[in-house]
Amino acid sequence: MAADSAITDRILTALAEYLKRDKRSIGTDYSLRDDLGLDSMATIELLFKIEEAFDLQIPDQDLQGLVTVGDVIGYVERRLKPAASAKQAAKSPVKRSRTRK
Amino acid sequence: MTQRVVITGLGVVSPIGIGIGQFWKSALEGRSGVSAIESFDPFPIDGYRSRVAGQVRHFDPAQFLAPTQAERVDRYAQFALVAAKEAMADSGLRMEMERPHRVGVIVGAGMGGMVMGEREITQLYQQRKPHRVHPNFIPVITLNSASGIVAMHFGAKGPNLTISTACSSSAHAVGQALNCIRNSQADVVITVGADASITPLVFAGFCSLRALSTRFNDRPASASRPFDRNRDGFVMGEGAGALILESLSHAKKRKARMYAEVAGYAATSEAYHMVIPREDGMEVATTIRLALKDAGMTPAQVDYVNAHATATPIGDAVEIKAIKDVFKSRANRLLINATKSLIGHTLGAAGAIGTIVSALAIETGQIHPTINYDDPDPACALPGISKSVQERRIRVALMNAFGFGSNNAAVVLKKLSR
Repeated sequence: MAADSAITDRILTALAEYLKRDKRSIGTDYSLRDDLGLDSMATIELLFKIEEAFDLQIPDQDLQGLVTVGDVIGYVERRLKPAASAKQAAKSPVKRSRTRK
Repeated sequence: MTQRVVITGLGVVSPIGIGIGQFWKSALEGRSGVSAIESFDPFPIDGYRSRVAGQVRHFDPAQFLAPTQAERVDRYAQFALVAAKEAMADSGLRMEMERPHRVGVIVGAGMGGMVMGEREITQLYQQRKPHRVHPNFIPVITLNSASGIVAMHFGAKGPNLTISTACSSSAHAVGQALNCIRNSQADVVITVGADASITPLVFAGFCSLRALSTRFNDRPASASRPFDRNRDGFVMGEGAGALILESLSHAKKRKARMYAEVAGYAATSEAYHMVIPREDGMEVATTIRLALKDAGMTPAQVDYVNAHATATPIGDAVEIKAIKDVFKSRANRLLINATKSLIGHTLGAAGAIGTIVSALAIETGQIHPTINYDDPDPACALPGISKSVQERRIRVALMNAFGFGSNNAAVVLKKLSR
């Protein structure tokens, strides 16, 4: 839960900065095109900032699925998940060997 | 009195051949000039989303140009000069018989001297030695280097212009050459389109715009798919096309062979968006109508359209919408093809190469295939688009070119009656 809200907050902050509006006025169900008025070029620019913020590279074929703010949040979470669970797996073996001793 | 204008010479440097003979043979065979980019030394190609381009292979400047010419201009200008030399030889014009101030040069170029440009910029920022910037840097990157070198080579002292409107640059070069001769500012205009900017930064820029095809990196020849349901963006290309435009009276006097008449031209802006066209196609339709009006033609008289058709999801559909709006039911009887399916999008060269293809279509009655048109997109499908060569007597051809910066051009060519 903590990871989710941190990602949500960073994405909303990036959106708010790009659109120059208050982030509290941006709903996660908002469509990038129809509610936030982003054309395809503006969407590309926004996602460029998201890529930078989260050190991601979004392939062309994934762009189609990013229709709402919620889609973007969900996508970033999914992309970051493998890295998060890899970090967990790396920590555990060290702990186990300590308890055995 | 307004002069009529004809095309008397053609020349080309392209991903499917250097020289009109090889180019046209390859085009009719439906040969793709799109291939994998090996690397952008020192950057590995897998750092790029798109990895294919219409590249001109086996171009050795030393084979075509004197060392002083080759070294002092960038790749795009080398292409321009080679194409111009072929076109001038093809036309049979002899400069010693011409008044030099009556022979002009108009070049269309989108990106210009980016090969040397990127190299010098990189070097300066890495090494921080301003004294080591090459003395040729400015002459090479200045966007009129091609029109300069072409004029110098031929001793052409007439109007010398470079037009840069991105993807429509050399369509406007043709149009402005037409105007120049119509208004008697010149008898002859060496008209060229050229670009060679498949370079690390420019290519990365187009990748970042999400404008390029990325789904066919393992099958380069399939990547450029205008009008196809599975198209996913354009393929960058490089090359040059050159045409000798001449007044009809001047061409007749020297008994020149004439490919076609340049009958009309329109230049407009959508005043809408830097990279996105108006989706209803109405602005493109206006450009086409204005070009036909300038040519004194009606839609009913047009036989063939050399489409802009870059294979972007939106652009192709917009162009067909516009064609349907202008031509109504005749749209179903037009022959239409997309040269970019063969060679990719050559940016500043596209308008000139499209006009060359249109002139050859009028001369030969042959329309080259639109390759990769495997699964027609219903939004783009018209009966006259085909994966095979088509044959018909072409009396009137329309050539479209639409550029970033909300810029549209259309050129109309007409067969000369014997």
